Amino acid sequence: MLLSLILLPFIGSLLPLLAAHKGRTVCSWLTAAPPACALLLLLSTAPAVFQGELLTIRWDWIPALGLNIGFRLDGLAFLFALLILAIGLLVILYGHYYLSAKDSHGRFFSLLLLFMGAMMGVVTADNLLLMVVFWELTSLSSFLLIGFWGHRRDARRGARMALTVTGGGGLALLAGVMVIGHIVGSFELSDVLAAGDILREHHLYPVALVLVLLGVFTKSAQFPFHFWLPHAMSAPTPVSAYLHSATMVKAGVFLLARLYPALSGTELWFIMLSLVGLSTMTLGAVVALFKHDLKGLLAYSTISHLGLIVLLFGLDTQLAVVAALFHTVNHATFKASLFMSAGIVDHETGSRDIRLLSGLRHYMPITAALGLIAAAAMAGVPLMNGFLSTEMFLGEAIEQRVLGGWSWLIPAVAVFAKVFSVAYALRFIHSVFFGPKPGPLPKQPHEPPFFMRAPIVILVVLCLAVGMLPALIVGPLLSVAAASTTQTILPQYTLEIWHGFNLPLALSVLAMVLGVFLYSQRHRLFNLWNRLPPLSAPDVFEFILHSILVQGSRRITKLLESGHPQNYLLILFLFTIALAGAALLQLPSLHGGVSMTAIDFPSLAIAMTMIVAALGTAILHRNRLTALLFLSVVGLGVALVFARFSAPDLVLTQLSVEVVSIILLMLILFLLPRQNQRDSSVQRLWRDAVVAGVGGLSLGILTFAILTRPLDSISKFFLAESVSGGGGTNVVNVVLVDFRGFDTFGEITVLAIAAIGIFGLLDGMRLFNPRHLGHHYAKDRHPMLLSVLNMPLLPLALMVSLYIFMRGHNLPGGGFIAGLITAIALILQYLTNGLNWTNERLNDNFHPLVASGVMIAGLTAMGSWFFGMPLLTTAHTHVHLPVLGEIPLATAMVFDLGVYLTVVGATLVILENLGKLKPFTSQPTTEP
Amino acid sequence: MSHLVLIPILIPLLAGALSLVSWRSLLLQRWIAVVATGLLLLVSIGLLQLTREEGFVVMHVGGWAAPFGITIVADLLSAIMIVMTGVIGFTIAIYSMAMTPERHERFGYYPLMHLLLAGVSGAFLTGDIFNLYVWFEVMLLASFALLTLGGERAQMEGAIKYVTLNLFSSAIFLSAIGLVYGTVGTLNMADLAYKLGQVEHSGMVNVLALMFMVAFGIKAAAFPLFFWLPASYHTPLVGISALFAGLLTKVGVYALYRFFTLIFNGDVDYTHNILLWGAGLTMVSGVLGAAAQFEFRRLLSFHIVSQIGYMILGLALFTPLAIIGGIFVIVHNIVVKTNLFLVSGLVYRLLGSYDLKKLGGVYRHRPGIALLFLVSALSLAGLPPLSGFVAKFLLIRAGLEVGAWTVTGVALLVSVITLYSMLKIWAEVFWKPVPEGVNTERLTGEKPDSQLWLLLLPIAGLAACAVLIGVNGQPIYEVLEAAAEQLLNPALYIEAVLGDQP
Repeated sequence: MLLSLILLPFIGSLLPLLAAHKGRTVCSWLTAAPPACALLLLLSTAPAVFQGELLTIRWDWIPALGLNIGFRLDGLAFLFALLILAIGLLVILYGHYYLSAKDSHGRFFSLLLLFMGAMMGVVTADNLLLMVVFWELTSLSSFLLIGFWGHRRDARRGARMALTVTGGGGLALLAGVMVIGHIVGSFELSDVLAAGDILREHHLYPVALVLVLLGVFTKSAQFPFHFWLPHAMSAPTPVSAYLHSATMVKAGVFLLARLYPALSGTELWFIMLSLVGLSTMTLGAVVALFKHDLKGLLAYSTISHLGLIVLLFGLDTQLAVVAALFHTVNHATFKASLFMSAGIVDHETGSRDIRLLSGLRHYMPITAALGLIAAAAMAGVPLMNGFLSTEMFLGEAIEQRVLGGWSWLIPAVAVFAKVFSVAYALRFIHSVFFGPKPGPLPKQPHEPPFFMRAPIVILVVLCLAVGMLPALIVGPLLSVAAASTTQTILPQYTLEIWHGFNLPLALSVLAMVLGVFLYSQRHRLFNLWNRLPPLSAPDVFEFILHSILVQGSRRITKLLESGHPQNYLLILFLFTIALAGAALLQLPSLHGGVSMTAIDFPSLAIAMTMIVAALGTAILHRNRLTALLFLSVVGLGVALVFARFSAPDLVLTQLSVEVVSIILLMLILFLLPRQNQRDSSVQRLWRDAVVAGVGGLSLGILTFAILTRPLDSISKFFLAESVSGGGGTNVVNVVLVDFRGFDTFGEITVLAIAAIGIFGLLDGMRLFNPRHLGHHYAKDRHPMLLSVLNMPLLPLALMVSLYIFMRGHNLPGGGFIAGLITAIALILQYLTNGLNWTNERLNDNFHPLVASGVMIAGLTAMGSWFFGMPLLTTAHTHVHLPVLGEIPLATAMVFDLGVYLTVVGATLVILENLGKLKPFTSQPTTEP
Repeated sequence: MSHLVLIPILIPLLAGALSLVSWRSLLLQRWIAVVATGLLLLVSIGLLQLTREEGFVVMHVGGWAAPFGITIVADLLSAIMIVMTGVIGFTIAIYSMAMTPERHERFGYYPLMHLLLAGVSGAFLTGDIFNLYVWFEVMLLASFALLTLGGERAQMEGAIKYVTLNLFSSAIFLSAIGLVYGTVGTLNMADLAYKLGQVEHSGMVNVLALMFMVAFGIKAAAFPLFFWLPASYHTPLVGISALFAGLLTKVGVYALYRFFTLIFNGDVDYTHNILLWGAGLTMVSGVLGAAAQFEFRRLLSFHIVSQIGYMILGLALFTPLAIIGGIFVIVHNIVVKTNLFLVSGLVYRLLGSYDLKKLGGVYRHRPGIALLFLVSALSLAGLPPLSGFVAKFLLIRAGLEVGAWTVTGVALLVSVITLYSMLKIWAEVFWKPVPEGVNTERLTGEKPDSQLWLLLLPIAGLAACAVLIGVNGQPIYEVLEAAAEQLLNPALYIEAVLGDQP
């Protein structure tokens, strides 16, 4: 039953959406049904709750985290649930008349019920985390409801501000709850409430308390987080009445009550709550008087009353808790009815500006009478509910000793605030409903429909009933709620209209008299107020966000994200050097103990050549062709290094890679200016040189340090296993196609991707006419000698590559090198005979060729599965062929064929596309 | 059954080759994309199941036992990442059916997409550091090619930054591999971990660890190495952006997780402290970068960076709960971030712009789309009961447990700013009325769009995931708990790969 109490509004939130097209009336009825059922359910639990029973249910959600779905219904939860459901029903009735035909009823009511469900969740949750979940849901639904008229800028701003503040507070609350859970070891409410002493003595208690209170203060609009509430008033009035006066803003108050046994009783608690409450109460009351917008006035009044309630929780007496809960209920009734009255005024006159409105009692006498009673309750006039709770408040304010010697400050300030609250209540009534008839208004004022007024009638009757018969109407409810809040036996108190002549009464009377006087002097006060510099909360809020967040971050982002890759690289280099260098500096010694081999002349010569060539590339980079030549020298140097250390395979690979890449680069150079501009200042060049030098040196030192340390590697295994396991004497090739064939598979994929990528990249690229770039060309496009010599070269080269391919498994060679050789031979054909000539003789769609290479390699690899072996397992044998002699055959060779095909295909795709690049003006780069 | 561990790599590889073969038939390529990614998803779920039963699924390619051959290993983390790859791949394949101009398709959109997925899967599954490098190269080249597809100027600019900075990462990575081989003489991760565990942790290992950290930090887009990401992610086709946003940086994060739990765990005070700083600064710099943005995808790109900080935070705190939280963030973020990009593409299709100032009115005309966005956006900001909430909850709790107050506070603060940022999008794109002069024919449905469901389907699916991950947290938590346990007990991994060591 408890579950259906919470689920009903949630399920109900779908109904209005489904019934949206059935018309407004059906929609409203369907909206009202679930909360009505829930209310009946709630009332049916009343006997049990009033006897002090605790109804609970629970399921696991993520038990490992202490996150459970549990609900509890005790006196406190009952009190709030009653408020939520009952006022919710009244608001639905009111909203039915309030919304115009243009507004989407379905969406509005759906969100309203969503909020109602979330709020029910907050007050009944038995697990603190679950409560935070619902807490955030209320913020969210409030956000969507404030922005219901999203086309209005003030609504969007108000909604964003509300959610940022309350959502942020929710996160603080989450953190606070987690600290509590950390201390207590459980998030279950019963555990937490029982662990009050442990909590208060723990060294993290202040952290937990401050975080939880941040959540409370943001939600209940306490100073200095109060500013979002007045701007939430751009919501439709039913929302203001329901969320932003009666229920949601009370969630903070509820939390104070809920955690009262766990967190209260310390100096920090009293000081924080009393000071924040006191300042909020005063600030709200003062500002409310000066608001010309009806809803703005009510919003600040709400802030002020919330401050009062928070202050009550901060007083060190048990009765203050009773007073706080009592005032929560009273405030909900009179403030909701006042909001509804303000909504009616707005609805029927088209204006909410107090300066324009006047004498409305002539047009809407009943509304005026109802507003008068509600405002009297707000001002704390005797016989109204507001009087009783403010009286209790003043009594407790006098009794408390929270601020030590300064404790008299609290009643003094309370009277001061009350003076203002009497004045603004007077203003709300007198300026709007009394006085002369108003000037021209957007609409001709008249009474609203009866049922739009009905909710106000009910609430006002309640105000009076509670005010006159408190013990009968709310007595039991209040005592059971207060008992479950403090979890102790309450001291004796009486709810009566008449307590005799005492100090609180005297203060009340004083405040009333002063309030009336203040109101009579209001014009002077307004003049004074107008002289103050205007300050608009959304502007300040946006200003802070804009100047600090947006501007600041823009500056930081500019600093880091300059848009220049040079700067990015610089940061990357510096960061890497700093990080790795710092670690390097911590090494006790760089030299690891292995003695170094003597320097021989060839090594030295190769090294010097490479260094000079590398420097040449860097220094002469502006002259591209020269730089490229130097670069090729570096590449050849690498080949020589391989040769020096007896790695013929790598030499062959390096050489052919070098040839292919230099040719391709040459083709590109043709499309670029011969020289590029000097684009760096001298200082910058030096800076870059230093960074590059330090980087290179660091890596050199690191390599030195590692090479001088002893090493035991897995290489010996490869040497030992190459023939027996891989069936080939060329260890490099066996490593490539067998031991680490999977790497090769990946690498040919890279090649295939490069081919596709370049195809897409170069297509349709239009370039400047190379003639304008300062290139000079030989007149003879396809030199005779070259093409003649080239003719026989192709078959020869193909033969060589076949030979290299076949012997690869045993002697230097293999598919990769063979593929490169074939590619070089074909490149030569393109170079000497032109693109079209060659393409006529070759299929110019090389993508399938590339793909077939990858496929062959992949399928060969998977072939081993048919023999129940792991992927890429090879088999090998030897066959004797005429002419070629003994040929070792290994399945790895089929794999190698895949490699070969991919290399050839990819190179051809790249080459063909580079050749196809066309300058703007026709330039005979290809065969005519 | 251990062959299963290779299938997630082979499916996209072969699908890529098949698409290449059918270069001229776009229809065929589209269907290959959907079928292959669908298969990948199914297989990945199977693999996860198998990993849950057996702990580790190990496969020695070519039959060469570790450490001599290349070992492919799936532990729970890998298997989870593969499932996410499947989810995102499948989603993007469907989305691409409606969102890819023919020009892109003709230039190899689908083959590249498959090969990218192959690279991602390979990186998640390999147990060999050089093989990891190979898959990184596959990814890098495929992603570069995808970035440039379309050939617009902005794309070229972005792609050049992307490839330059990533090549720097590759260079560092490769150097580090060489140096590692020069130090311990092995490439197999398990063997490496074992051998490093045998010797006394020397300063040299820290140097190597930091080089890997830089290389992967660039890939993961951590502070201060993330520049390439916001410079390029908003330029390509939106499906590509979404794919990258979902998966690419996570490979870098995954590599960090793998290396800094399995291999470099000897001097945690030193290495993981650096990671902690990196995590905090990444979170902050990313979210601040986002605050200044008014381009839908650029804004989201900065949030990727910010979220990477959370993921690294989990690793840096290095407690079981923190690791669980970190992986949870990864999983949640892959779903949610991809979805936000997909929504941006959908809005682009309806209104023709990515500029927040030129968008509006979507809530009014298409409340369903607005709801889908809101689910993802609020999940990103960590609002309950969505996936991001559980993720953030885990991390914050882990942070509190070890008393890392500052970084926990930063994490909370950053999520407030994230929320603000998401609300900015909401207010601009969804609430604000459509600005003057914007063509609303598609938005209002005057001009019907028969393929819109192909875009809505993946978005709705991912949004449902975001809700389910949050609501159905317990089973996911259990899997992640087991994954974290594996990560924090490297001996299990070593034994699974190498067998019993003396």
